Amino acid sequence: MVSSYSGPLLEMREVVKRFPGVTALDHVSISLERGEVHALMGENGAGKSTLMKILNGALSPDEGSIVLDGTPVELSSITVAKSLGIALVHQEVLLAPNLDVASNIFLGHEPTASFLPVLDRKRMNVEAKRLLARVGLNVSPTTLVASLTTAQMQMVEICKALKDQARILILDEPTSSLATRETERLLDIIRELRRSSVTVVYISHRIGEVLAIADRITVLRDGHDVGTLNAREADANKIVSMMIGRDLKNWFPKRDSVPGEVVLSVESLRVPGAPCPLSFDATRGEILGFAGLVGSGRTELMEVLAGIRSAESGSIIFENRTMRHTNVRQAIECGICLVPEDRKLQGLILSMSVAENLALPGLRYHSRAYRFQRKWQDKLAHESVKKFRIRSSGISTKVATLSGGTQQKVVLAKWLALKPKLLILDEPTRGIDVGARAEIYEHIVALAESGMTILLVSSDMEEILGLSDRVVVLCERRISGIVARVDADKELIGTLMTGARAA
Amino acid sequence: MRREAGIAVALVCICLLIGGFNQDFWSSANLLNSARQISMLGIYSIGMAFVVITGGIDLSVGSIVGLTGVIIATLITRSGEPPVVAVAVAVAISVTIGLSQGLLITRLNLQPFIVTLAGMLLLRGVSQTICNGGTISLGASPFRDLADSGFIEVHGEYLLSYPVLIFMVTIGLGGYLLHYTVFGRYAYAIGGNREAALYSGVSVKQVELGTYVISAALAGVAGVVYAAYIGQMSHTVGTAYELVAIAAVVLGGCSLRGGEGSILGVVIGSALMKVIENGINLFKIDYHDSSGVLHEWRLNTNWQYIVIGGVILLAVILDQTRQLRAQKIRRGKSSSSPEVARPTPDHTDAAIAKSRP
Repeated sequence: MVSSYSGPLLEMREVVKRFPGVTALDHVSISLERGEVHALMGENGAGKSTLMKILNGALSPDEGSIVLDGTPVELSSITVAKSLGIALVHQEVLLAPNLDVASNIFLGHEPTASFLPVLDRKRMNVEAKRLLARVGLNVSPTTLVASLTTAQMQMVEICKALKDQARILILDEPTSSLATRETERLLDIIRELRRSSVTVVYISHRIGEVLAIADRITVLRDGHDVGTLNAREADANKIVSMMIGRDLKNWFPKRDSVPGEVVLSVESLRVPGAPCPLSFDATRGEILGFAGLVGSGRTELMEVLAGIRSAESGSIIFENRTMRHTNVRQAIECGICLVPEDRKLQGLILSMSVAENLALPGLRYHSRAYRFQRKWQDKLAHESVKKFRIRSSGISTKVATLSGGTQQKVVLAKWLALKPKLLILDEPTRGIDVGARAEIYEHIVALAESGMTILLVSSDMEEILGLSDRVVVLCERRISGIVARVDADKELIGTLMTGARAA
Repeated sequence: MRREAGIAVALVCICLLIGGFNQDFWSSANLLNSARQISMLGIYSIGMAFVVITGGIDLSVGSIVGLTGVIIATLITRSGEPPVVAVAVAVAISVTIGLSQGLLITRLNLQPFIVTLAGMLLLRGVSQTICNGGTISLGASPFRDLADSGFIEVHGEYLLSYPVLIFMVTIGLGGYLLHYTVFGRYAYAIGGNREAALYSGVSVKQVELGTYVISAALAGVAGVVYAAYIGQMSHTVGTAYELVAIAAVVLGGCSLRGGEGSILGVVIGSALMKVIENGINLFKIDYHDSSGVLHEWRLNTNWQYIVIGGVILLAVILDQTRQLRAQKIRRGKSSSSPEVARPTPDHTDAAIAKSRP
């Protein structure tokens, strides 16, 4: 099996990677054959990204070995991995929008006309054209990247990887921001690459896609490899049970929802950039889930509700009052709070302490003669730390030093301190560990039971299905369906999300 | 507070060094004049600190200092207005300038650097036009007492001169505003993470506008004091003062990325700047040559900017190495393999990059 010619193209053996506080990969092995599409699946935090970062040289493993063509290799940097033909296409597009397509493809490896460092534009354009043809992207190499669609940018990213003569191409959730048609197009390109004997590692959360494209599927869970399946013998149920590894229902606190009176109705709300107005309503104590792909307009809709951006037209009626809020402060004063998607960019001020962060939204309501009440701040901080079990060495600890899960609890506590009547949660458990996640779920359910209306935006389908009373599905900035909990299943929501049934 | 303590120690050391070589440093005339110099710099540096802590920058400060002086001189000498009116008009004009610049920055989302750079050039040009290449003398106007007299007279010197008094009031008000009020907390929040502040319901634009008004207003106040101190206004007064103020706030522990710094630090930073300037003039080493004749070696006063530039570089280098070491220790403690990178690189820079559109 170690024989360099008949064996696998690449093997990662017993790879271990530890980060402060967690073992991200615990003796994980994976082998890649020549010209296969190998899917890598697992929940957020299962270790997929870490494994791939090791494969493309961004991280080095603490233990274990990597064998390429039968020879042990040390992938000490991204450059080394690239020179061995291993390239990673990130989930987020990492292109310079102010440069044209050819310049982006050759960024850092520009061909020069002579011994002088003068760009050989002609060669760049010819080469770029050839690569673009290979991925079937019909744009000129001199097109500005800013004018491309997300899908086209993704293709440019793939060209960038192919330029390095990649033998192993890692695609990290390439379809997470693509519409159905574009996804099919991408899958065709992957098939084409397979024919030219490029090995593709395909990371995705979408089981349908994986079953359609992959030859083999490796599932990771909590840093362990659970196993590798041949795609032919795999089905969705089997993969999900491998990914989750336990009964789903235990994850989410049980509750019986009794529909209360309607407290929020959104009527013909025009969100900037949306093709048509949106309408939906929510009752008291309801958890209303919002499913949709990245770019489906979920976040924008929530930002309008929370006063971060303004609607073009339409009305938001909350507790029989038509809301006219045009900024966050007014929304907060109406009892509407948004817990934002990205805790580091939008949720927290990392240079401030736990107490200062917790107090920030309510500060102005607890001041006398413009002077804020330090006593109130400390009292609030002590209460929140106790209630949410925020693990830190004290309320004056800088939040930058806390773990992701603890930071997320600070973010949640920060907005709950305002005692909102309508709480909007945008990806409340992204990138946090299992323990903290379960605690956050308990809080969400308890809040709903206390009569708070909760709008829950999540890309985690289990979370949406496990917590929501009803699910609003968004696709390309329209509502493609509103599904009650009893009718909701993954498949239905998945098809609505990808627009298969969009009206 | 560690930064403030560090810079305070540096200040004391430099004072002892200069004073050790030249006793004149401790003379009451020198100390009182230094106090006045520090006060005049400190007044507008505190204004600059508000802007810098919020993550902005104000390059128009020096030109405002110059313009207010020119306006006062014109009103008093040429129009014969009473000093009170002249001062009121000059300060009102500087507040208006701050308000206009602040509105352009917050309402049109223009970059602070560009707006205040344009302000710096434009206002300098206005001063130049008023002066028309010459100087306007304040003569023996009673207005000049503002710089020279004060309280507690001892042998013709005032222990508490008006500039020092104004500086103390500025420290008091500025310190209260920055460290005890909602406004101040918001300023730190915006500098720390503008977007998170926005999501938390902070009125980001109002606070930012406020900081530019404070900066311009204090520059105006400093301009009034300078005019009284100099007595001869020309269009060059105040040139590059904004850079001296930035140097003082950075030395005092403010980060140009925003979110860090304190009034105490700015006061110490301003003092350090002026003490170094003073020290370069006073520093001397007495020695005897082979034939026993007493000689005096002095620093070349042209070295002033070399020394100040060096001190600023040294301060930021020391501060950065301290932070890097602290980070390393923190990682080492929590990681079993200290040499490996963390899963996500330090996020603060990315956060700052994104928080400014």
